[in-house]
Amino acid sequence: MIEIKDLKKIYNGVTVVNVPHLEIKKGESIGLVGNNGAGKTTLFRMMLDLIRPERGEVLMNNEPVAGHENWKNFTASYLDEGFLIDYLTPEEYFYFIGGLHQQTHAHVDDFLAGLGDFFNGEILKKGKYIRDLSKGNQCKVGVASCLLQNPELLMLDEPFANIDPSTQFRLKSIVKDLNKNKGVTTLISSHDLNHITDVCDRILLMEKGVIIKDIATSSSTLNELENYFGVEQSFATAAKVDQEENH
Amino acid sequence: MTSTFIRHELKAFWRSKNTGKTIVVRVVMALLVLYLLAVVFVLGFSMNIILEKVFPKDDLVVSFCGILLLYFLSDLFTRLQLQELPTLRVQPYLQLPVKRNSLVRYLAFTSLLSVFNLWPFILFVPFILKVIAADSGNLTAAAFIVSLAELTVFNNYLSLYIKRKSNLNGWIFLIAAAAIILIGLSDFYFHFFSIRKISYLFFGHLITQPALALLPVLLCAIMYYLNFLFLKENLYLEELGSRKAGKYKSSTEYPLLSRFGSAGDLAANEIKLVLRNKRSKSALIMGLFFLLYGLLFYGKPGLPGSDGFKVFVGMFMTGIFIINYGQFMFSWQASHFDGLLVSKIKFTDFLKGKYLLFTIISTVFFLLTTPYVYFGWKTILIHFVMYLWNIGVNTTMVLFFANRNYRRIDLSRGAAFNWEGVSGNQWILSLPLIITPYIIYTPFALFNHAYIGLALIALTGLAFIVTRSFWIKKLEADFYTKRYTIAEGFRNK
Repeated sequence: MIEIKDLKKIYNGVTVVNVPHLEIKKGESIGLVGNNGAGKTTLFRMMLDLIRPERGEVLMNNEPVAGHENWKNFTASYLDEGFLIDYLTPEEYFYFIGGLHQQTHAHVDDFLAGLGDFFNGEILKKGKYIRDLSKGNQCKVGVASCLLQNPELLMLDEPFANIDPSTQFRLKSIVKDLNKNKGVTTLISSHDLNHITDVCDRILLMEKGVIIKDIATSSSTLNELENYFGVEQSFATAAKVDQEENH
Repeated sequence: MTSTFIRHELKAFWRSKNTGKTIVVRVVMALLVLYLLAVVFVLGFSMNIILEKVFPKDDLVVSFCGILLLYFLSDLFTRLQLQELPTLRVQPYLQLPVKRNSLVRYLAFTSLLSVFNLWPFILFVPFILKVIAADSGNLTAAAFIVSLAELTVFNNYLSLYIKRKSNLNGWIFLIAAAAIILIGLSDFYFHFFSIRKISYLFFGHLITQPALALLPVLLCAIMYYLNFLFLKENLYLEELGSRKAGKYKSSTEYPLLSRFGSAGDLAANEIKLVLRNKRSKSALIMGLFFLLYGLLFYGKPGLPGSDGFKVFVGMFMTGIFIINYGQFMFSWQASHFDGLLVSKIKFTDFLKGKYLLFTIISTVFFLLTTPYVYFGWKTILIHFVMYLWNIGVNTTMVLFFANRNYRRIDLSRGAAFNWEGVSGNQWILSLPLIITPYIIYTPFALFNHAYIGLALIALTGLAFIVTRSFWIKKLEADFYTKRYTIAEGFRNK
C-alpha cells in the first residue's frame, strides 16, 4: 500500500526525517511513537504531499504522492485543526466532504446518525461554527470526516491528545473495527503508549527522524516502549525529589 | 515597556516570512510619501500666491483661516481610507505582569507616528511663518501652530476610533464616510452653511486672542480618552478571538451553486467565508462603499477627460471586491489550506470556484451600478466594459498574484485587533490591476478614438473569459511549482 524510499527532510542543515526504506502493507495497523521533534508529523506531512522532501519519495499503490492525486481518493487524514474549514458548521463541513466523494446529504445524515455515541451530543445541531468548538470537539469533527470518506488508508496524528477518556475508548474501538473488520490500513501517532499498543499491530519508534525500532505488537511491547521512554527511571527521580521537598 | 514593545514589533517585522515583500511595498510606499511631501512642501511655500489666485476678493489671512477646517475635514476623509492602524499582538502580554494601561498607551502612542500627522505642518507652517508671524506677531503664529497640532492629534484619534469601531461593524465606516460627504455637500452643494466661515470664526479670533489655542486641547483629550477606553475594553480574550457565546449559527446552502459541481461547492464555501468572518465581510462592505464613488465624480463637467475617469471609476465599482479581496487570495483560506490540499479536490475545481465567486460578486456589483444610467447610457456601457475586464483579466491577474502570496491571515482572530491589510499598503499591490486597462485605453483616447479603446478593453476581457480553461491550466501548473512554499507560509502563524 505504502512504500517509502530513501526519504529525507532537512531543515537548516538538521535532518529531521531520514527513512531509507519502509513498507506498509494493506490492512496493517501502524502506530507511530516518538518524543517531540522525532519527526512524526513531518513524516505524515510528507506522506500527504504537504511538504517537499529533500530526497526520496513516498509511493501509494506504487504511484508517487507528489505530482499525483489518485491517492486522495482512498486516503483520509486528520493531522490538526488546520484540516478543518473553521467558519462552517460541522454539518456543512460534513456535507462538503461528503460531496467531494459524491455522497448525497441523505447519505451523510445517515452516516452521522451512526456516530451519535462518538459525538456524545456535542457536535451536531449545536448552532456553532467549527471555530467555536473546543479542541477536543474539533478533533471529533476531523476524525468523523475521515470516517465519512470510507478510506482504505486512515492517517491520524495524535488523535487521543485532546479528547476526553470516553471518546478515547470509543475512538479506539472504531479504529480497531475499521482495521479488523473492514480491512482499512490505519496509521496513527500518539504519545499514549497504552492506547497505541492496544490499537496497533505494528509499532514504529522514531528518534531524531530515524525509525529505530519496528516491532510487531506483543504482550511485552508496552514494557519495551516504557523502558525506551524511561518511564520507570523518571518515576524514581520524581519520587526522590518529592522526598527532599518534604523535608 | 514601550521600548520593549517596539523591539518586539521590529523583530516580528524582520523575522516574518514575508519580510522581503513587505519591504518592497514599504520602499514603494516611502517613495510615494516622499514625493507627496515634496509636493505639499511646494504647495505650502506658495500658499500665499495660490490663495490670492483662488480668492482674489478676500483678505489673505481670512481665506487662509477659512481653508484650515476644510483641510482637516478632507484630512479625516483620507485618513479613514488610508491611515494604518498600529498593531501589536497583545495576547502574549496579557497574562504577564504588564500593565494593561501600558499596552494601550503603546498602541495610542505609536499611532501618532504616522505621516498623516506631518502633512498639515508642512502645508501650513510656511504660510504661518511668512504671513501671520509678520502680520500679528510671534505669539499668534505659535497659537496657530499649537491649534494645528491639536486638530491633527484630534483627527488622528478620531479616525482611528472610527476605523477600530468599523472593524467590528462595517456599517460604521459607511456612516462616517457618508456623514463627511454630507457635510461637504451641504456646504458646496446645498449651501446650508459655510465651513470656511465656521473655520474663520475660530482661527480669526485666534489672531486677537492667542489663548484660544488651548480650547481644542479638550477635544484632543476626549478623543484620546475614548480611544484609550475602547482599546482597554477590548483587551479581553473574547474580543481577541477565541470563542464567544453568540447566537445560534444555522447551516446554509446555496442550491444554485451546487449545480456547478465541486467548483460550485467551493464557491459556496467561500461565500460563507466572506459573510462569516468580520475581516472579509468588511472587504465586501468596503465594496458597497465604493459604489458611491460614482456620485463623487460623475456629473461634474469640470473633470478633465471624464470618460477616461469613468473607466477608472467603473472598474473600481464593479471590481473593487476582486481587487480588495483578491489581494489576499488563498490567504483567507490559510488556516485550512492543508486540509484543502489533502482532500479530494482538483486544483482546477479550486480555481474554477474562485472564478465563479468573482463572477457572481462582480455581476451583483455591476447590477447595483445600473442606477448610474442617470448620467447617460454611455456610463453604463463603460461600466459593462469594465465589468467584462474585471471578470476576464483582473480575476486572472489576481489569481496569478495569489500564487505568490505566502502570508497567513488568521480569520479566527477577532477583528478588534486584527488589522492586516486595512491600510494604504494594499493599494500599492493593486496598482498593476488599475494601470493595465489604461495601457490599452489611453493611446486611443488621446487620438479621439475612445470607443475603439473601450471596444479593445471589452474584447480583451471577453477573450480572457472565453479562454478561461487555458488560464486555469497555466495557473495550475504555476501553482504546482509553488504549492509547498504557499502551504508552509500559511502554516507559519
